[in-house]
Amino acid sequence: MPLPLQQGLFQGQAAVEPMQVDGAPEENDNIEEEPQYTVENPSLDLEQHASQYTGLARLHRLMFIADHCPSLRVEGLRMALNYVMTTYNTNLYGIIHRKLQEAVSSSSSLPDAVAGSVHNVPPLDVPWMETTAKKAAFKLEKLDTDLKNYKSNSIKESIRRGHDDLGDHYLDCGDLTNALKCYSRARDYCTNPKHVVNMCLNVIKVSVYLQNWSHVLSYVNKAEATPDSESTTKEANLTVQSRLKCAAGLADLATRKYKSAAKHFLQANFDHCDFPELLSPSNVATYGALCALASFDRQELQHNVIGSSSFKQFLELEPQLRDILHNFYESKYAKCLKLLGDIKDNLLLDLYLAPHVSPLYTQIRNRALCQVSSQCLVTCTVVPVMKDLPGPPTCPPLYTQIRNRALCQYFSPYLSADMRKMASAFNTSVGALEDELMQLILEGQINARIDSHNKILYAKDIDQRSSTFEKSLTVGRDYQRRTKALILRAAVLKNQIHVKSPPREGGQGGEMSIAPGSASAARN
Amino acid sequence: MVEYVSKSMDALAKNHAHIDTALATLSYSEHSIGVLALLVVKLSGAHIQDFETLYVQVQEFVSSCSEEQIKFAPETFAELCHKFTLQLVDRKQAQRGITILCQAIRKVQTHLALLTSIHPCLCQLCLLAKNFKPALSFLDVDITEISRESGHYDAKDFLLYFYYGGMIYTALKNYNRALYFFEMAVTTPSMAVSHITLESYKKFILVALIVQGKIPTLPKYAPQVVPRYIKPLCQAYHDLATAYGSNNPADVRSVITKHNDTFVRDNNMGLVKQCETALYKKNIQRLTKTFLTLSLADMANRVQLTGSREAEKYVLHMIEDGEIYATINQKDGMVRFHDNPEKYNSAAMLLELDKEMQKCIRMDEKIKEMDREIAVNPQYVQKVSGIHDEDMPASTSKGQGF
Repeated sequence: MPLPLQQGLFQGQAAVEPMQVDGAPEENDNIEEEPQYTVENPSLDLEQHASQYTGLARLHRLMFIADHCPSLRVEGLRMALNYVMTTYNTNLYGIIHRKLQEAVSSSSSLPDAVAGSVHNVPPLDVPWMETTAKKAAFKLEKLDTDLKNYKSNSIKESIRRGHDDLGDHYLDCGDLTNALKCYSRARDYCTNPKHVVNMCLNVIKVSVYLQNWSHVLSYVNKAEATPDSESTTKEANLTVQSRLKCAAGLADLATRKYKSAAKHFLQANFDHCDFPELLSPSNVATYGALCALASFDRQELQHNVIGSSSFKQFLELEPQLRDILHNFYESKYAKCLKLLGDIKDNLLLDLYLAPHVSPLYTQIRNRALCQVSSQCLVTCTVVPVMKDLPGPPTCPPLYTQIRNRALCQYFSPYLSADMRKMASAFNTSVGALEDELMQLILEGQINARIDSHNKILYAKDIDQRSSTFEKSLTVGRDYQRRTKALILRAAVLKNQIHVKSPPREGGQGGEMSIAPGSASAARN
Repeated sequence: MVEYVSKSMDALAKNHAHIDTALATLSYSEHSIGVLALLVVKLSGAHIQDFETLYVQVQEFVSSCSEEQIKFAPETFAELCHKFTLQLVDRKQAQRGITILCQAIRKVQTHLALLTSIHPCLCQLCLLAKNFKPALSFLDVDITEISRESGHYDAKDFLLYFYYGGMIYTALKNYNRALYFFEMAVTTPSMAVSHITLESYKKFILVALIVQGKIPTLPKYAPQVVPRYIKPLCQAYHDLATAYGSNNPADVRSVITKHNDTFVRDNNMGLVKQCETALYKKNIQRLTKTFLTLSLADMANRVQLTGSREAEKYVLHMIEDGEIYATINQKDGMVRFHDNPEKYNSAAMLLELDKEMQKCIRMDEKIKEMDREIAVNPQYVQKVSGIHDEDMPASTSKGQGF
């Protein structure tokens, strides 16, 4: 049965993505109780959030939120239930209904007023399921016969459209693998570049639902490579471009290539950013801004993000992000990281961003540290005070990324910095700061040395001349070693020295085991 | 003469008792080959009653035999040495054989960089006698040729030489060279798994961990047997290597206790313990990259040593060995790390650079020479010019030798 397969796929893949929110308790990604998520989640308007998406995107996101947020669970599942009844996806309906039942029964500790409305769960609408299934099967049959007719008539255009329709139908039923197959089959019947691009977009959409990122990237490349000789209007072209860029950005984000993800998102065009079955414009803003913050250096940040007129429109949708970016750029790390903490909860409910919140935050923090260290000219006296910055042991890894970035940025102009002031600025103890800095130095992000006695961080100057000499000597010795080995090997081959298997050389095997034994016994 | 002698070996074997008398009549230097054959037969006798006289005889023979005659029967000579070594090992009198074998090798070698099958015997005796210096003079020379010994030269001798050589260097703590030797043993072309290769591989891993902190990738010409068969047999060592990579002494120690039996059984426990100390040293070296000054207590914490006294001891040893550059301030309990004070601007450094360059140039010349040799080899020329009537595996392997 194709439908259970899709369900298994989705859940299986969600389980694979590590959700590194905090320390120990998330081995089990799909568990419904996530202790970190507080019940109150004021800033997410579920209705408005869900209305930005259509189709499977909305359903997936609602289910994700329901899985991870106890307070919004019932509402989310209810909305999902209502929506799924408009599609042919009976399987998903069953799942959502079951989850709703469980959620309702487990949340019976809610106060009476809420409990009353909560128990108003419609029973499993079996007749609806049956009729929908029948309708779906009927439509499938019809489309199939249509397709066969087209094939017998050998009209390429109609065959292609037939495949597309079939793919759409499978998608509606939630059968992603078959949908993918149909869309891919349409490839052979594409007659002009527009069709190819269309086909690619369909495949990309299904691949995103399947979370098959390599597929997404390869089809994005394919679509971009088709010559746009017949581009109908500039508008359509731009829409297609934006879609491709967003899909590529999403794929990069999921595979943790934050820098290229940021670059892709920044290239999306605001006016033509309209694909509710994939992402909403505010999503683009969020993903793009966070990835840029975690991976761009100051110049790139200024040039591509803050100064970019096209991305500004995206940022208008998310004023908090805009503030974060500006604060980071102006070295107001305290405010920046505090705001990041505020929106963290919302980010953790986002389907695609949740697993990357931790690494992104760590990178941003690292960058801040680096910039701080590179800014020190003399022992810094004026240091931006950053309060409310959770230290490394408690804050999640994405957070640590942002924090590290802040550290780097902090230190970038200085020759030496007083670690005590730095520690108070980043709101950690000197010891913890030392550890963080040591990690950054070992990774090569800060070029400095720590004077643990006086607690000062000194920027290091590499002596190019000495290192060149050292390197040349090492290379010379390496060359000699390799050449000797090769000359020896030439002699070995010349004499055809070969370890042969024991049966052919009777006593050899026996003797071989004696010799090492006796010698090694003597050695120790 | 040689063929006659080799044919009559069996006859000689039967006439054991008369050999002594025969020996008395022959002169060592003039009738070397005959004496050689007789001695070989005597040594291969199952039960040797009078080893002392035999020993004296062999000694005299080796010192006084004539080199030209020996050259005609290299394999018999080698056999003599082998059997002699075996006898000495059995009687636990390794020390006595060392000088004799040294002389023997010198007599057989046409030039210094020739590897014979007597070499591993010498190394074996040295290891057993724990007297390494005589072997060093042979080991330090880079081998460029291997003696044919009429086709009796065996892969086993080659492997043994490098295995023993590696062990000797490890004992002398010359880890770089030991690594080179073990690598040579492991990359010998092979179709089957040899115990020697297996043991070499295990030691290779351990020495690599001590020197470099990780297992280096074997060169491309390493035989397929190694990853396929040998690696799975050395699981304990690979575990140790992965634990080592995590820079965490507690992990390493737990792996060691877990595989204690394997290590002890392979007689590698000493090396394993050295790996452990090497890990501490490696961690301290990492600290030098990040810190300018550090308190001893702090260092002990970071490297997971038991206390500042032990940390001080480690740092002291490392400074003496030249592995780090630092000064210890006992008053504050602080260590101050310095950069490498070598500024590469002294005359001594210039001399060293010059020497290294000369070595490289000589290597290059040697390679050119070998290339020239092959280029004028008639078989090669024929092959290259496309005449297909001969099947010449030897010449193709020579061509592939580079």
